[in-house]
Amino acid sequence: MKGPRISPETLLVLEGFLARPTDWRYGYELSRETGLKSGTLYPILMRLEKYLLLEACWVATEDGVPPRHTYRLTPNGVELARTKLAEARPRSLVRQPAYCRG
Amino acid sequence: MLDVQLRQAAAVLLESAIRIAPPDTRDWGQAMRGELNHVEGSWAAAMWALGGSSVLAKAAVVSLVIPGRRLVPDGGIFAKSATLRKAALALGGGCVLASLLFFAAPPFRQALQVAIEPWHHLYQVGSKNFEPGFEALAKRAEMRHDPEALAFCAVRLQDPRESVRLAEEAVRLDPDLLWIYAVVGMRSPELPEAATWVEKLERWDPQNALLHLIAAEAIERTHYRRGVWSPPTQEQEQAWQDAMSAAFQSSKFDDYLDRVAQLNRRVVPRYGFYDPDEVVSRDRIDLPTHAIENSERFAKSFLNDGAVLEAKGDRKVGRDKFWTVARFGQLIDAQGRTSLEHSMGTSLQAMAYRQLEASSQREGNRTEAALYGYLAAKFDPVQGKRADFPGESAFGRDTSQRNAVVVEISGLMILVFFGLLVIALAIVIAGGRRGAHAAAKRARPVATIVVLTSAVGALFSSTTLYLTYRPYWYIFQSAILSGDRVQTSDLSAFLSAMKMPPGLSPGAGISLWSALLYSGSPSFLFYVWAGVTLLGVSGLVLILLRHLLGRPHVHSP
Repeated sequence: MKGPRISPETLLVLEGFLARPTDWRYGYELSRETGLKSGTLYPILMRLEKYLLLEACWVATEDGVPPRHTYRLTPNGVELARTKLAEARPRSLVRQPAYCRG
Repeated sequence: MLDVQLRQAAAVLLESAIRIAPPDTRDWGQAMRGELNHVEGSWAAAMWALGGSSVLAKAAVVSLVIPGRRLVPDGGIFAKSATLRKAALALGGGCVLASLLFFAAPPFRQALQVAIEPWHHLYQVGSKNFEPGFEALAKRAEMRHDPEALAFCAVRLQDPRESVRLAEEAVRLDPDLLWIYAVVGMRSPELPEAATWVEKLERWDPQNALLHLIAAEAIERTHYRRGVWSPPTQEQEQAWQDAMSAAFQSSKFDDYLDRVAQLNRRVVPRYGFYDPDEVVSRDRIDLPTHAIENSERFAKSFLNDGAVLEAKGDRKVGRDKFWTVARFGQLIDAQGRTSLEHSMGTSLQAMAYRQLEASSQREGNRTEAALYGYLAAKFDPVQGKRADFPGESAFGRDTSQRNAVVVEISGLMILVFFGLLVIALAIVIAGGRRGAHAAAKRARPVATIVVLTSAVGALFSSTTLYLTYRPYWYIFQSAILSGDRVQTSDLSAFLSAMKMPPGLSPGAGISLWSALLYSGSPSFLFYVWAGVTLLGVSGLVLILLRHLLGRPHVHSP
């Protein structure tokens, strides 16, 4: 299957997941870590899930409060995240100004 | 307090978005809703809900336009809620009913007939039969042996031979309709029957100047046959002079328009022939085609003769000639009913008074010269201020043209929307049956949207058509039923603009470009409006087709 389009925002999300790759994460938690709004974050999560790079599960909460969705990267997702982040790092260094000192 | 309300509003917004979201996205909506309770701060919660709603709304729109993107078949806003679908269909039904109620109003029926006429002309180009209505009416009149209806058709048919046949049949059945010969003869004075008709008419209505003008026109036409002008023989010139002289000596002028109006009043309701173009044709038959040129040519030669006689010392005979022209002008001006007749009358009077002014100056009678000078200036078609004659325009040509564009497009849109409505309704019904085809089931929610949109479009177009045409219907009614000719020129201008679809004229292919170049023209308005509407309708059709023909994707495990 062809992989998803990796935008800078997607990289941020992948980076967030890779910080604790085995943990299940909440959407709001990811939003706070990455600084992305819900309108940007959820399409990325939907796309990753569509390409089977992300798994999701519902977590029951206290009575009367809607259950929460939690996410973590699949093994394929972890591999892709590592590759893409590795590719992105040298590029981000190149983007620094040439005359930057220190 | 505000915090709680803001949070509640955010929850409502997100839950509403979940309702309209396609099924495959609904879980994600619930996920965002689940997180909402944990977002810190009410404003942050509102922004969270707003962002989430935009994602769900976008997914709903995408699933509507591209059905293949939807993972589960039979989704969409109307699929999820049967109540909502029923409400949409009820609203659509109400709009259709309201549109159909317009058909009960005679102005609307006439408006629709007028609106469709120019599009009808499009595929009739090349055909000589532009009067299918009159021809059918003539057949019915012949079957019924109705002389008045035959005369009604004879006056209006463009084919001169058919007009003659019907006129003669009408007069045979009712000799009181003899005046019909004058009206038909005015339009086609070159017909061999014209001379015999004029003789009969002169016996029936002696002293009517119109009959001599027709005779002069018939002589004039013999010089110009098949596009070639040949100089008149001495006999022809003498006959023309005699006819014009007799016209100028006449004591009466009757164009028979009152009789035409009476005929309309009786025949139109009898046959339900409510064709507004008929009103325009009344204006075309007030005078023979070259009556003005012939009268002015004869008046000039008559005034010249008078001046020569006056110069020779025969003042009385000379001035009599001037007065003959002035009296004829007064006659046409006073007894004429149309702008053209008044124009001819005033123009002749101005010519005569100018000669009388010069004659009085030569005599040294300053008072009389001043009076004639005043009258000449008053009736001068360029200098003088002419009174408004019945039939003057009140709306203006631009307004009439703009209204014509609106009526043409509204009429066309009614047909398009009703066509779309029928197709979409058929899909809704087919998709609702047990054992319905999967494609019909899948397209049902979108077909519901198309039904609703088409119904609203049909109602909007019907209302626009009715309101725009209504003033013209009143003008038509007054003109036909009570003979009131006020504002008929507005109706004429409107109907002239309605002859062809906007921007199209027979044999002129450049009009589209000229319309686009001159952005203020009604044609430009037409193209912009028609383009936008066409895009909208094409979009609806495309969505419907994609839902009908598209294959649903299956959920990936």
